[in-house]
Amino acid sequence: MWEFAARSLNASTVFTIAALGELIGQRSGILNVGIEGVMLFGATVGFIVAKTTGSYLLGCLAAIAIGGLIAALHGFFSITLGGDQVVNGMGIWILGFGLTAYIGYPYTGPLGLERIPGLLGLSPFFFLAFGLVVLTWWMFSKTSLGLRIRSAGENPSVTEVSGINVTRTRYLSVIASGMLMGLGGAIYSLSYNPVWSINFLLGWGFIALALVFFSMWNPFILFGGSILFGTLWQLSLNPQLVLPNVLSRYIWRTVPFVITIAVLVLMSTKWFSSRWGAAKPQALGLPREEE
Amino acid sequence: MRLGSYEVKLERKVRVTGLEATTISLLAILIGLALVGLIFLQAGVNPLSGYRAIFSYAFVNKFGLPLTINRSVFILLCTCAFIVPLRAGLWNIGMAGQLYGGTLAAFGVALAFGAKDPQTPTLAPGIVIALMMLGAILGGALIGSIPGFLKGRFNTNEIVVTMMLNSIGFWLIAFMIKEGGPFMGGGGEGQGFKLSESIFAPMVWGGTFTIPIALGVAALLHFMFAKTTLGYQIKAFGLSPSAAKYSGISPQNVPLLVFVLGGLIAGLAGYHYFAAVPGVYKIPTNYGDFGDLSFYGIICGLISQGNPLAAIPFALLFGGLTNGGRFVQGQLQLGYGIDYALLGVLMITLVVFQFFYRNTIVWKKMEREK
Repeated sequence: MWEFAARSLNASTVFTIAALGELIGQRSGILNVGIEGVMLFGATVGFIVAKTTGSYLLGCLAAIAIGGLIAALHGFFSITLGGDQVVNGMGIWILGFGLTAYIGYPYTGPLGLERIPGLLGLSPFFFLAFGLVVLTWWMFSKTSLGLRIRSAGENPSVTEVSGINVTRTRYLSVIASGMLMGLGGAIYSLSYNPVWSINFLLGWGFIALALVFFSMWNPFILFGGSILFGTLWQLSLNPQLVLPNVLSRYIWRTVPFVITIAVLVLMSTKWFSSRWGAAKPQALGLPREEE
Repeated sequence: MRLGSYEVKLERKVRVTGLEATTISLLAILIGLALVGLIFLQAGVNPLSGYRAIFSYAFVNKFGLPLTINRSVFILLCTCAFIVPLRAGLWNIGMAGQLYGGTLAAFGVALAFGAKDPQTPTLAPGIVIALMMLGAILGGALIGSIPGFLKGRFNTNEIVVTMMLNSIGFWLIAFMIKEGGPFMGGGGEGQGFKLSESIFAPMVWGGTFTIPIALGVAALLHFMFAKTTLGYQIKAFGLSPSAAKYSGISPQNVPLLVFVLGGLIAGLAGYHYFAAVPGVYKIPTNYGDFGDLSFYGIICGLISQGNPLAAIPFALLFGGLTNGGRFVQGQLQLGYGIDYALLGVLMITLVVFQFFYRNTIVWKKMEREK
């Protein structure tokens, strides 16, 4: 039973770190629907680097670097060129999906390194994820940097007038957000399931995107949501733990996706948003005219 | 900004003419292809001979051309499925899930009328074919109605919902065709049953009859957007949902309607590839590849600026590129997945070029300083 719980928490780590990245970007007003693409880049590049050098550390650093780079590209399209953020994000996703399929294909198969040692079956990334959750919460609620990022996402014009460089703040947040997404992808491909195959994330990035909406932009709710989805994912892989021999294993695989839709619907009802919806950054996804 | 004696300035565009849009789209494709040329170079292949091999297989070779056309029809239908919600300002990235739904319904109909046991036909083949198509349309529309309804009723993010439905559809097909599922075929493991010859889709002028159907769908959509109240309502909603609401357009019905229409067309795409393309006539093991191929519909829809007729030549081009790309990667010892790389690179160049739909660069010679 503990083994199952540990495995669920390890799965949740991927969601937590990637979704935290998305949360930071969204707080500054930049929506990145291409989170799956950034994660695919991080996962694939991290996998290749770790496999060729034999070093997990280098793999993770490479994933963080490529994640930041790809997100900077999204930032350039969305902040500097001022395009539709959904179109740009879709571009990032399809770029990641297409290019990593080509780049990663020669490395198809298991990573073949000794597993990263953990504590009681928990990977060290889980503790890192928890630390990052606390850090993000602290940054947004206690520091002036957090306030700057939040105000850029709420009302960029007023923020600009009060002497904060919105463009720079947004670039900073978007790049940091991409680094976390890249790391999240690498945790999947290096620690959670170290085998490469085409498009192996199968929608995890989109679940992480939905998680940010669920979380009402609160890192702790996001952490709880990630654990819920990590557990659901693990259950869908091992249905015999709860309901042996009921339904095919393929049907179980659909469960996390069905639940994502259900929770997303609950979050978007009037009943819910009138109570909690105020947390949404006002300027999220809106292109900004340079004055 | 100053460049030499010129001043370079950006100006917002109010309108884009058809000629400008075409030029921008073609430039985007050319630059995308040039970037993929770098991949050819890196793999030690001369890009020009690489592209010559791709295009000659895709458009000249007598084995390659029919494959290109079948892929293009598939991409065209996926593009139409993407365009209808796009005109209403909504993103349908669930063509994969919708075409899986349509495919399952079409094969369900075939199974119900004795496809596994061709000795005892229950209905005339023509009727079964018509019912299969009807099934495909309804199956696709059913999956499409989910994001449409949720968007209209609760304003639920349609991107996440359609993407979740893609994964759900993927596993549902796996359930149906693998490990003793109801659609499992007799011979090979992990693929669906083969249709009996009597219910193969009919051929018109040497091609499948789904080719004229796809062209008809594109033409009908064009007519709908250009001439009908419905098309006007969809476009008005796309420009401003709140303004549309005050002019009496239901903000609940439009999302549902566009997604049902989109799903219906995507269902046809599933019917086309799995039940009408010669040599397939079953749900193959690699059905997921066609879900991936459906994403070309996004690029094609964006590059044709939501115009279904303009999408036809682009669909043909992309059908050829993916088909030829698959072929040459074996012939020229390129890595697997050159068609995926092309998908990604084309998409991102297109995103960059979106900028030029909105802005023009103005060059002005500066007056000499006195």
